[in-house]
Amino acid sequence: MKTEIRAIAEAMERQGYIAEPSIATALYLSTTMGKPLLVEGDAGVGKTEIAKVLARHLGRPLIRLQCYEGLDVHTALYEWDYPRQMLRLRMEGEKGLDAESAEHVIFSRKYLLERPLLQAITQKDGPAVLLIDEIDRADDGFEAFLLELLSDFQVSIPELGTIQAEHRPHVLLTSNRTREIGDALRRRCLYLFIEHPSFEKEVRIIRARVPGASERLAAEIARFLESLRGRRLLKAPGVAETIDWAQALVRLHRDALDPETVEQTLGCLLKDRNDIVELPAAEIGALVEAARGGGAAPIG
Amino acid sequence: MTAVDLVAHVAVFARALRERGIRMSLSDEADAVAALTLSDLSDRDEVRTVLRVALKIRRRDAETFDELFALLWASGEAAGRSRDTRTSRKKDDPLKNFGGLPGARMEAQQTERHSREGRSDVLGYSPEAMLRKKPFDECSERDLAEMERLLARLALALATRKSRRLVPTRGRGRVDPRRSLRRAIATDGEILRLARRTRAIEEPRLVVLCDTSGSMDRHVRFLLAFLLSLKKAARRSELFAFNTSLVRLTPWITPTKIAATLDRMAAGVPGWSGGTQIGHCLAAFAERYLDEMVGPGTVVVIVSDGLDRGDTGPLVSAMRAISARAKRVVWLNPLLGDPRYEPTARGMAAALPYVDVFAPAHNLESLERLLPRLSAA
Repeated sequence: MKTEIRAIAEAMERQGYIAEPSIATALYLSTTMGKPLLVEGDAGVGKTEIAKVLARHLGRPLIRLQCYEGLDVHTALYEWDYPRQMLRLRMEGEKGLDAESAEHVIFSRKYLLERPLLQAITQKDGPAVLLIDEIDRADDGFEAFLLELLSDFQVSIPELGTIQAEHRPHVLLTSNRTREIGDALRRRCLYLFIEHPSFEKEVRIIRARVPGASERLAAEIARFLESLRGRRLLKAPGVAETIDWAQALVRLHRDALDPETVEQTLGCLLKDRNDIVELPAAEIGALVEAARGGGAAPIG
Repeated sequence: MTAVDLVAHVAVFARALRERGIRMSLSDEADAVAALTLSDLSDRDEVRTVLRVALKIRRRDAETFDELFALLWASGEAAGRSRDTRTSRKKDDPLKNFGGLPGARMEAQQTERHSREGRSDVLGYSPEAMLRKKPFDECSERDLAEMERLLARLALALATRKSRRLVPTRGRGRVDPRRSLRRAIATDGEILRLARRTRAIEEPRLVVLCDTSGSMDRHVRFLLAFLLSLKKAARRSELFAFNTSLVRLTPWITPTKIAATLDRMAAGVPGWSGGTQIGHCLAAFAERYLDEMVGPGTVVVIVSDGLDRGDTGPLVSAMRAISARAKRVVWLNPLLGDPRYEPTARGMAAALPYVDVFAPAHNLESLERLLPRLSAA
C-alpha cells in the first residue's frame, strides 16, 4: 500500500474516523488528482463525516452546501443584496448619477452575497473543502449547473463578469441514491461506495466514539447489528444509529445486551414502524442470544 | 509497467466491462490511467480499489467488476483476449433466459405500419372513436399504425407536475427582487412593476414495470407502445419488463423511434411467454433499483394481470417497500376491462392494499383516462 494512503487512513483515525483502505484510497486519489469525489451509500454510513474529517485533517475550512429540491443558483452560488442596493441607488439618484454609473456602483463585489459555492472558490489562503451534501435531492437543472462549475471552477455573474477560483477546493459530493446521478456529473468525479461497516470495523468505531462502552458490549452491539442488517428492513440502521444506541446503553449502565433492554431501546436503531412491528420479542431474544454467544444469528 | 502498458491494460479492461453492460467512457479510462500511475501497482487490493474509484463502478456492478478484475489480475492478458470475456458474457447474459418474439410477426406489423392504404376512411363514423374502445386483443394488424399515432398523441397530452424550482413568469407568482431591481435601474430605483417567479412545470417521473408473461401476451405490444410514447413525454422514465426474471429496458429505448425500439426489444428481450413470478421480480426490483429510481416524486406503474403462481410473501414485502417510497403506485390490469373479472388472483389480492390506483388497461380509452393520474401534481 502506498505510504500516502496509509498516512491518510491514520490521520483520519486520529480524528476518530475509522477509514477502510478504500475510503483512504479514494480521498488520496481525489486530492492528488484534483477531481471531485462522489460518495454514495445508505443513510448513516458516514458519508458526510468524511468531508468533516478531511477538512480537519487538512486544517482547511469546510464549506457545506445542503441540497434540496428547488435549490437554485441564488441560494447555492450568489445573490445580490437588494435592500442595500436599493438604498444606494436612491442616494445616487438624488446626487443625479446617470443610470449607467449607478448600475456600476450597485453591481459590485460589495453588494454581492457569497453563497457556499462562491465562498468555496474565493478562499484567499488555500483550498477549502467543499461538501455538496445529498446532491440526489437537487433538480436535474442544478446538477447541470454544478457540472459546469466543477469542470472550470469559475463562475460568471452577468452583472460582474467571471470569477476564477483562486484555489480549487477539494470537492466531495454525497448521494443517498434517491435518484440516479447523471452520467455526465458522475464522469467528472471519482466514485466511492461506502458499505455498512464490517464487524471488526464497527467494534472499532464504537470503541472510538463511545469510550464508555466495554470491549464486550461493543462486540455484542456490532454482532447484533450485523445480523439485524441481514434482515429485510425498510431502513437499515447505519453507523450513526449504532453510535446512538451504544451511547444509550452506556447511559443505562448496561455492560451486555439483554432482550428487555434491547426491546426498550430498539427505537435508537429502527426508525420505521413496520421494521419494529416485524421484529417480535421472540426474535429479539434469538438475536440477542446469538450476539452474546458470538454465533451466527438466524436471518429471518 | 510502462504508461503505455497501463493504457493498453485499462483499455482492455474497460472493453471487458462494456461487454458486460457496464457503461464506461473514454474519460473514465483516462481517470483510471491517471489514478494507477499514483498507486502501488504491486498491491492487488489497492489496484482494485483504485480502479473501482476511478472507473466509477456502482454497487450494482461491483460483483461483475470484481469477477473481471480477478481475471485481469490472474493473468495480465487473460481478460484481454476478449474470447474469454465473450464466453463469460454469454454465460451471464441477463437476457439469456429470454427467447425472442417471433420475428415474423413483428416484421408483418412493421410492413403494415409502412403501408398506409390499409387505413379505413369509411364515411359516417370516426375510426378513431372506434379504435379507442376496441380492446387490444381484438385489434387487427390493420389498426396498428393508427393506434400508435393515437398513443403518441395521448402521451404528449400527459400533464406534468410542478417543480419547486422558481422560474420567471408574466402572471402571478412570488416577487423576484433580482429582476425587479434590474428593471428599476432604468427608473432611478423606482420600482414600477414587480417581476415575479412561479414554480416550474416539471416532467413526471415514471417507473414502469411491465409483465410480459404468457397470460399478458395479447396486450403487451400495445402497452409497450403506449409506454414508449410516454417515455417521449417523460424522458426520465424507467422501463422494466418481467416474467420469470426482471430486465431493465431503459438503455435500449430510443423514444423517437418506437417501431425500431420495439423490434430491437423483440430481438433481444423477453420471450413473452411462460409463467410469471411477480413477487420474485418485484422483490428483485426493490432490491436493486428502488433506492435510486423511486423517490417522493415518482409514480410507479405496474402492468400485470396479477396471475402469480408463486408465494405471495415476497410480493407483499416488495409492494410495501415500493409504496413506502413512491409518490403513487398505479396498477394497470388488462383483465379489469372484462366485467366478469374480479381481482381474486392471489397475487393481485395480496398486492392490492399497496396500490393507489387500480385501473383497467384493455383499450385506448382506458389509457386515456389514466393520464391525469400518472401526472403527479
